[in-house]
Amino acid sequence: MLEIKELTRRFGENTAVDHVSFEVPAGLMTGFVGGNGAGKTTTMRMVMGVLGIDEGEVLWQGRPITRLDRRRIGYMPEERGLYPKQPILDQLVYIAQLKGMDRVGARAQVTELLERFGLGERTKDHLEKLSLGNQQRVQIIASVLPRPAALVLDEPFSGLDPRAVDSMVDLLREYTRDGVPVLFSSHQLDLVERLCDRLVVLSQGRRVAAGTVAELRDAGVPRFRLVLGGDAGWVRDLRGLEVLDLEGASALVEVQEAGAEQHLVAEATRRGDVHEFVRVRPALSEIYREATA
Amino acid sequence: MSTDTPRTDTLRTDDPRARDPRTDPGHDRRDEPAWLLVTRREVVSRITDKSFLLGTAFMVVLIAGFIGFNAWQEERTDSVTLAATPDSAAMATAIEDAAPEVDDNVAVTVLEVDDRAAAEAALRDDEADGWLHPTDDGWQLTSESSEQGSLTDVVRAVVQQQVLTDNAAEVGTTVDALQAGSTVTTDFLRGDAERAGVAEAVGFVFVFLFYFAALVFGMQLASSVIEEKQSRIVEIIAAAIPVRHLLAGKVLGNTALAVIQLLVYLVVGLVGLSFTSYKSYVPALSGPTAWFIAFFLAGFIALACLWAVAGSLASRTEDLQATSTPLTMLMLVMFFGGLSLDGRGQVIASFVPPVSAVVMPKRILAGGVEWWEPLLALGLLAAFAAVTVWVGERLYRRALLQTGGRVSLRQAWSAAE
Repeated sequence: MLEIKELTRRFGENTAVDHVSFEVPAGLMTGFVGGNGAGKTTTMRMVMGVLGIDEGEVLWQGRPITRLDRRRIGYMPEERGLYPKQPILDQLVYIAQLKGMDRVGARAQVTELLERFGLGERTKDHLEKLSLGNQQRVQIIASVLPRPAALVLDEPFSGLDPRAVDSMVDLLREYTRDGVPVLFSSHQLDLVERLCDRLVVLSQGRRVAAGTVAELRDAGVPRFRLVLGGDAGWVRDLRGLEVLDLEGASALVEVQEAGAEQHLVAEATRRGDVHEFVRVRPALSEIYREATA
Repeated sequence: MSTDTPRTDTLRTDDPRARDPRTDPGHDRRDEPAWLLVTRREVVSRITDKSFLLGTAFMVVLIAGFIGFNAWQEERTDSVTLAATPDSAAMATAIEDAAPEVDDNVAVTVLEVDDRAAAEAALRDDEADGWLHPTDDGWQLTSESSEQGSLTDVVRAVVQQQVLTDNAAEVGTTVDALQAGSTVTTDFLRGDAERAGVAEAVGFVFVFLFYFAALVFGMQLASSVIEEKQSRIVEIIAAAIPVRHLLAGKVLGNTALAVIQLLVYLVVGLVGLSFTSYKSYVPALSGPTAWFIAFFLAGFIALACLWAVAGSLASRTEDLQATSTPLTMLMLVMFFGGLSLDGRGQVIASFVPPVSAVVMPKRILAGGVEWWEPLLALGLLAAFAAVTVWVGERLYRRALLQTGGRVSLRQAWSAAE
């Protein structure tokens, strides 16, 4: 498990990351969302040791992270690019070696990954000779070398074509199945919602929300939709509820006093038919907008 | 904690995944330090680069060609034809006979013609290179339109000798008697004139090679730093190895390449020289050449770190022009300083790094340097290199990850990491 504790980074007067704490549990995908300049990239760079830490710490398996640990964390920086004029096999082997693999092992793993991504025939090609989509595949391979103990990916899906997104997702799922913690940032909330087990929302350098998607959707003031056999106008007279929307037989209410929704159901069944009584959970995008507003 | 895994601070025992053979892909079993990996990539990616190989081959051809041309020029006998009218036939024959003594590369053939018109026609038709004829107060050598350098020298010397002999005989004496005691010979306390000339020429070559290599490899180093910075691969590298290792690897790789290339040029040059009449100097040149290589090594490392800084201050290739200006200026100062300084200025400069890298080898070539002087200069240069490595490392490390446009030196120096 990767733990981020009270991480803080200032650039001059500007505090880019302000006492941010969260966890990236083993085997789970943690999405990292927030607007531009929210501090996602700065946080990830601090986690990777690429940027110095002003305050706070990063823990790996419960103790302060070391360079050796970081070497085993797959990292994809926000902007992409490798060596354009070097054969892809050579540069991937080089990166794997920098990360501590021996030459033979690195070659074997790189070859395997290149084949998996359909680049087995092009190992000797210079990176710049590949199509953009294939260059992105090479970039993905570079970030999962060597078989990572954790993954920190900054906008891994940006610019990927749908097929590359699918292979990336498959790959990530494979890693989480093996117990690898994955942290990735993204602007694409639909993708985050589809993929993530957990979510951390950053706004202006602060953590404004964190938890599983379900937790976050449950976290707000509970809302219920009630659909009756007859007119629902009487709902307005109940205590502890705020009616957000009322239209004929249908009402949307927000619970302001715990238990008020139980009175609502009791009253409704007493008065007649209840067609629908359901908890309304806000969409992720709504939560995100509220949290970062 | 199980008993069979003693607790240590290494990754392999702390992390249960690392002990699992299925998930441990061979971490930290590599036998090479990170800087060596970087060095190797720099060297391999460069020597497999066609433009680098072609450039080196071109330079070798150029050096070999230059030396070959000079050798050929030197060995070649200049055959000239001297037209002589009846009034100058005797003198022309004397010149023909005496020419090899004056200049052994000039062979003169006499072409006897009847009169002025025939002589001029011969000149125009390129049958003769010059026409010698007496005038009222001496002799004249007429040629078509260009000065016949070697012929003129020979004619001048022989005519003078001949006329002097005749004049001396007329007044009842000899040339030798007239010239007795008038010779001025030159002598050097150190070496001799030809040696000084060779030292001057080789000194120029040293200064030029240093300038050329420092500029070419420096630029290359700086742009490879930008390449990594611009593509952000540097973040992947910085997450895996200390940035210090990256810098060391890049500097060492480019230094190795520069030195290898320099050695190739020097070997081609010295071997080429041994085929010319200067071959006797080759043994005497090997000492200074060895010193030059040592000075080159220290000087290049010092400058390479600064080039890496110039690269790291830029965010895009377009910025390099601006961030490297102070360095290109320094290169020019070294180049012209190396060429033009002499006397006391040269002695002082030969101890001042980084200019000493080119000036001291030149002084060693010229001779008369005390044994301790090159050692002191090399020591100072090495100390300077150590300082630039230290300063360069700090600047490079801090500027490398700042990607918003150009970074100023002050920003880089004071930036938090």
